[in-house]
Amino acid sequence: MGMQYGRQSVRSKSKRCYAGLMASVLIAPVLAHHSGAMFDEKVSVTLVGTVKEFQWTNPHCWIQVLALDKSGPVEWSVEMGSPSQLFRGGWKPKTVHVGDAIVVVIHPMRDGTKGGLFVSASRGDGTPFESVPQ
Amino acid sequence: MRNSSLVVLILVLTSPAGLATEAASGDSARISQFARLPNWSGLWVSAAWSLGTSGRPAGGEEELKAKLQLIRPPPYNAQWAAKYEAALQDKAALAARTATFKVCTRSFPALMEAPQQFQVATLPEETLLIFENGQVRHVYTDGRSHPAGDDLWPTPLGDSVGHWEGQTLIIDTVARSASESLAPRARVALLSEDAHFTERLRKVDANTLEDEMRIDDPTALASPWIFTLRFRRVTEMNRMISTNCVENDRVQVIDGKMVITNP
Repeated sequence: MGMQYGRQSVRSKSKRCYAGLMASVLIAPVLAHHSGAMFDEKVSVTLVGTVKEFQWTNPHCWIQVLALDKSGPVEWSVEMGSPSQLFRGGWKPKTVHVGDAIVVVIHPMRDGTKGGLFVSASRGDGTPFESVPQ
Repeated sequence: MRNSSLVVLILVLTSPAGLATEAASGDSARISQFARLPNWSGLWVSAAWSLGTSGRPAGGEEELKAKLQLIRPPPYNAQWAAKYEAALQDKAALAARTATFKVCTRSFPALMEAPQQFQVATLPEETLLIFENGQVRHVYTDGRSHPAGDDLWPTPLGDSVGHWEGQTLIIDTVARSASESLAPRARVALLSEDAHFTERLRKVDANTLEDEMRIDDPTALASPWIFTLRFRRVTEMNRMISTNCVENDRVQVIDGKMVITNP
């Protein structure tokens, strides 16, 4: 499978201030466990590659993706929700296997390190992972 | 003769058979109490939250904020409103705190508007709200009062006692730590140690719990703050799967910023 690595901008929703919500607009979103300030949510990166490891762990699940950069395979750490959250979304510990072809969209780290926040994922043939019967 | 009867009565009551009878009577009374309590079994979660696979709000941040109650400005008096506005304007402090902000447990009342699932166990002596992150609210309904004097000190969840009015649980909470912000998304919003919380928790239909909350704080608020929290029955799963922050916490704060550590 040809692997590619690309970076694309996404439409950023305009930041509107609701009357009565002044307390929240100045404070960055918080994930269930930590602030989301480390991720650039105005940018999406599509990683195409293979799964090196799927960590079904608390407080977050992680997919380690080997995506091909210009210089060869590069490992990315993709943060997801907790096992409880993933389970509710149809995921299970064996939904993703080592060696699976994967296309995963993430919001990347602001500091340029090879990591990001999970947005969506599909198999090499475009099938969403969560819709695959176990 | 009277003394003989008394001796016989004592012997009967203190004999194994007598004690068993007394215990059975106590169990019977407790079973009757149980029967009068509402059945709130199942899994519940704040209706404001719908988390996606990413662990982020499925409908987006703005949709979530429109539903959350605790991020709204409290009805502060002039002195506390000034402190609140000043904290909001200190963008450098906010940014620095946001850059390293991690949360594992929540204080009250934030816990009641958190994305964590919970179960409600209604016992005659207390009602337990058991959250998936391991936190538990104990609401004692055995007629006790809040501890007095030095037996009571501020804690993140405060001290809760309650009583039943029909099928509605009235919860009275005091002694909440004043240093705790109201919610992770309202980190500059505080209350004083005088804050007094009154909740009316009830089941409004088979799939909905409702918590009408009133906050009185004569030190910080100009008027009582009243709002309603709602919880939906979780139907996507049928058992509690506990969460924790220590098993594989790869997001660490290093040199003043959060980084992802290697697996």
